[in-house]
Amino acid sequence: MSDFHDNYPQYELEALHDEAYGKKARRTLWNVFWIMLGITIFELIIGSMAPGHGWSGTLWLKTLFIVLTLAKAAAIVIWFMHLGHEVKFFKYIILIPYIIFMFYTIFVILTEGTYSGTSAKATKVDPIFVEQQKALKHGHHSSGVPQTNQAEPAQNQEHH
Amino acid sequence: MAHSAEIDSKEAWDGGVSPFKLSYGKMFMWFFLVSDALTFGGLLISYGFIRHKYAEVWPKAENVFTHFPFIEQHVPLAYVGLMTFILIMSSVTMVLAVEAGQRMDRKGVTTWMFWTIIGGAAFVGSQAWEWYHFIVGTDHGALRNVWDAASGSYVKQVFHGANMVTNEYGVPQFANYFFFITGFHGTHVFSGVVLNFIIFLNVLKGTYQKRGHYEMVEKVGLYWHFVDLVWVFVFTFFYLL
Repeated sequence: MSDFHDNYPQYELEALHDEAYGKKARRTLWNVFWIMLGITIFELIIGSMAPGHGWSGTLWLKTLFIVLTLAKAAAIVIWFMHLGHEVKFFKYIILIPYIIFMFYTIFVILTEGTYSGTSAKATKVDPIFVEQQKALKHGHHSSGVPQTNQAEPAQNQEHH
Repeated sequence: MAHSAEIDSKEAWDGGVSPFKLSYGKMFMWFFLVSDALTFGGLLISYGFIRHKYAEVWPKAENVFTHFPFIEQHVPLAYVGLMTFILIMSSVTMVLAVEAGQRMDRKGVTTWMFWTIIGGAAFVGSQAWEWYHFIVGTDHGALRNVWDAASGSYVKQVFHGANMVTNEYGVPQFANYFFFITGFHGTHVFSGVVLNFIIFLNVLKGTYQKRGHYEMVEKVGLYWHFVDLVWVFVFTFFYLL
């Protein structure tokens, strides 16, 4: 067993490459960067334009943001983390368990979590939060001074 | 180097070779990242659930994160845009350090690692600034039912800023998830900067030049890109949606 490591392949050395390859690799990396920056700037412009428009907060907009996010995530994993360069089987080993667990967690929270969404068991929200969001919708940032300072029976939101 | 071509798929699992053509260090960094990604995935999914549950009272990011250094007006999303830019930029300098390492270009690795560390430190600083403004809050504040221990009841009063129990922006869960998820991510960024710095010192000493490869740079690079990857999701779910 003493010479066990002697014929062990050095995979670290397989990653080494020459200047010509490096030049091509760098061009790819910068292209990925510009695309990611473009997507982010696009998201920011759409995101800061959205308030006050009819399409703000719609399912379409949310889907668009999530798709763009997944595109950026894929770019990072494939090119920056070099998963695109690994052998096929290793890609599956990394991605498939993760994707299965994420879908499973979403499935669990959507099915088991529904108990809190039924009207009978709906969580009571302090009306103070509803008022604040209503005021913000009409553009009032300030909530004003309290008219009364005495203790009121508070509806708490989280006491089961 | 030609070992990979000689491997017969039938014998690949008999030992002495890696069927994935990877060193164990890099492979286990990937396995660690998968487990870490499961943690973040769980956090973000539970965040999505709670947010949906309080959909009608959940604060909008453009009403909360409106500050920008040296600017008095409200500029929603601008600061987080800058933070995202810093982190993507540091991700690109990291991958350029990895690429330089694969050409055994010590000077290139040094330069790009240096900029990665600067970018990481700038991001951690930006997050501290963001937390500061989130905790201190605005001048106008908002009305809240705050627990008064002396009278043993809730008292309606103007509350500024945020803590784990009360915040002026909306339901307490909003601040809880903000602190927990961005805090957990910030801790990752901070440890990433520390790891990068240790590897940077080894690059300066010439450890990897002597070893014949810069795989350690690749390994911390994987971790660093993962931090960027998580931020892409945090950015979308906390600030955009």
